[in-house]
Amino acid sequence: MSRLTKLISLAALLVAPSMATAAEVNVVSWGGAYTESQKLGYGDPYQEMSGVQVNWIDYSGGLSEIKAQVESGAITWDIIDVYARDTIIGCDEGLFVEFDFDNDFPAGVNGMKASDDFFAPMPSDCAVGNILYSWNYAYNTDNVNFDGSYPDSMEDFFNPDKYPGVRSIYSSAMSNLEFALVADGVPASDVYDYMEDNGIDRALDKLTDLCTNPKGGCIFWSAGAQPPEQLVSGEAIMATGWNGRHFNAIVNEGSPMKMVWDGQILDYEYFVLVKGGPNQEEAMKALQYFTSSEGLAGSAKHIAYAPFRISSLDVIMADEPWFYSEQAGAVEIMPHMPTAPANTENYVLMNPEWYADNNTEINDAWEAWKANL
Amino acid sequence: MTAEIRTSDGELLSVKLKKVERRRRTTAFLLAAPLLFFIVFAYVIPIFQMLGRSIDNAEMNSFLTETHEVMQTWDGSEMPGEDVTSTFYYELKTAVENKYHGKIATRLNYEKGGFTSLIKKTSRKLKNFDENANFLDQFIDVHKKWGDIEYWQALKRGTDAYHFRKYLTTFDYEQKFDGSIERIPEKLRINVTLWLRTIFVAVGVTFCCFILAYPISHLLSVLPTRYSNLLMICVLLPFWTSLLVRTSSWMVLLQKQGVLNDTLVSLGFVADESRLELMYNMTGTFIAMTQILLPFMVLPLYSVMKTISPSLMRAATSMGATPFHAFRKIYFPLTYAGISAGSILVFVLAIGYYITPALVGGAKGILISNRIAYHMQQSLDWSLATAMATVLLIAVLVVYWLYNKIVGIDNMRLG
Repeated sequence: MSRLTKLISLAALLVAPSMATAAEVNVVSWGGAYTESQKLGYGDPYQEMSGVQVNWIDYSGGLSEIKAQVESGAITWDIIDVYARDTIIGCDEGLFVEFDFDNDFPAGVNGMKASDDFFAPMPSDCAVGNILYSWNYAYNTDNVNFDGSYPDSMEDFFNPDKYPGVRSIYSSAMSNLEFALVADGVPASDVYDYMEDNGIDRALDKLTDLCTNPKGGCIFWSAGAQPPEQLVSGEAIMATGWNGRHFNAIVNEGSPMKMVWDGQILDYEYFVLVKGGPNQEEAMKALQYFTSSEGLAGSAKHIAYAPFRISSLDVIMADEPWFYSEQAGAVEIMPHMPTAPANTENYVLMNPEWYADNNTEINDAWEAWKANL
Repeated sequence: MTAEIRTSDGELLSVKLKKVERRRRTTAFLLAAPLLFFIVFAYVIPIFQMLGRSIDNAEMNSFLTETHEVMQTWDGSEMPGEDVTSTFYYELKTAVENKYHGKIATRLNYEKGGFTSLIKKTSRKLKNFDENANFLDQFIDVHKKWGDIEYWQALKRGTDAYHFRKYLTTFDYEQKFDGSIERIPEKLRINVTLWLRTIFVAVGVTFCCFILAYPISHLLSVLPTRYSNLLMICVLLPFWTSLLVRTSSWMVLLQKQGVLNDTLVSLGFVADESRLELMYNMTGTFIAMTQILLPFMVLPLYSVMKTISPSLMRAATSMGATPFHAFRKIYFPLTYAGISAGSILVFVLAIGYYITPALVGGAKGILISNRIAYHMQQSLDWSLATAMATVLLIAVLVVYWLYNKIVGIDNMRLG
């Protein structure tokens, strides 16, 4: 081979990858069973339909990475799956694209315009709803001998004298403060009113009682896949977590676990579109499909999270048993949704505004509490 | 008169020598230049940028320049006058038009909690303001927090072009508006605890490494090559394994239903109900960190011990010293250079550790570096993170300086 041809082929090698990836969208989400449901539910179908490659990237929440990308001018993310709180903070900081909601997103299959078809108003102009999920707790039915009585309330989670063993809780304040107040007797619907009024201290005291009780004790999880793992390995006797992950462990992996819905926190999850992302136009089109009635219903085929659109529920109910996995076969998914009537007898509705506004104080108090535990 | 010595081509020898010398020095410099540039760009400049970030508030200052200037004449003892409130109104209006009011809200929220909602709500209502009426009243109408003087005080401080308050936060102190410095409320104190814990862990791990590494290194240096090579591979193996893999392996070994506990239970040393708590506490942190940092102690010790002639010990014994005495008087002092090199290496690495302790140590494994990572990644208060990182850097430099004073840096031998 002459020198010239060598050079040309080398140049071709260097250029080839960037040519092949001309039409692609980078979507960032929480990994594990959840990302899998998104990939199977709407990522892959969209890829097949449009020919645009959809890449899934895992992260563990927070805005630091995207903030760093924006500051350094090397943005690689297009769409991010974020907490409501982060859509508010990121929108304020100008990290995300603001939507013209009804023009940007298609009407539902039921004909309702987008803003009516979504269960709840968006927390910020940059957010488009994705799922409703639940923070609840689960326990291992095998590893633990409860002498015939099993925990069935949030109070039981905070009662190591009755149910001795280590608890696994989320590594940030979110969810723990609410659970503690509910267990302390605060009505679930008033949790955030109590928060304003010395509630953080009250919740932290309750958590201190649990975590310093020699019969109890706490470990912390930060990735959604951890709580089921810790329950199965016996590292924790009870663990708070996301209902879809618990469901996945029970149904797909056959783990001997049971969920307790009392005092659950019903929370929303959102997509945002990164301003100045590498493929912003393609990403917008992908996002329109992801959040369409069929798209959102698609992910519920693979995980027990409720789609944000009312019309998606129609799609699901028309075709139950909707959920399908190789291990479990076809399963009726509606009773496992965090919004199912049996699961919402006593629940807290997440208040992202409260977290966005008081982020600094909550985190300072929480981290100090954790470090001095 | 001294004779002039010339080279064969007629030049003065001294001149020629200088030329040759200069050329050699240039070549040497050019060879080192890439490294030098690399260090300057990848290390020195970022460090100074980092130092800058911890006190720099210029962006915030540029958002509200005029408000800040007008506020200089306001002493903060009573509610600000219309000059302040009107200037603030117009600058906030510009901010809303250009969509950087969110940044203002976030930054001010670090100064005083509650600012996020305050600025956001105010921004939304700004278009309803009557520009001829009293601004302060209108601000208070929008949100009652504007009637609280502390928010105006925080606004004045929050727009300083630079400040050193983050360094106070690093040690759980805060500066009140009147300039007095106080400790923050007890429930919120965290950093001092973590500094002490970090130093404790770093010193403890260094000591554990020393205790374990000394006999291993000695063994390595006296064994015949074919055995010592094998042993050396065992020591170096962790070096070739990813940090996360090693940490996760420790988690598998140490957890309650883990290998170690299972073995102890099946051998009957420990009852099934009272399995040992080896993880999510200090024990786990020490075990994992000691194992991971052990090679950094073994290698310098080994290289020093290798050079100690066995005849020295024999000479001491032949002159009547007991083995212990010979060791204490002859062998041990000769290994000082290795001990100090290994210790400083392990200590400096340990003081900045955070992944391993966070995974294995649970809540007890939070060290100061975790807080730095937390402020970088979660709270996004980068100036506080960099202030803490700067203090950490200074702490390491102080250790180095102390070391130089006590032991002398020339005595350090890394190999």
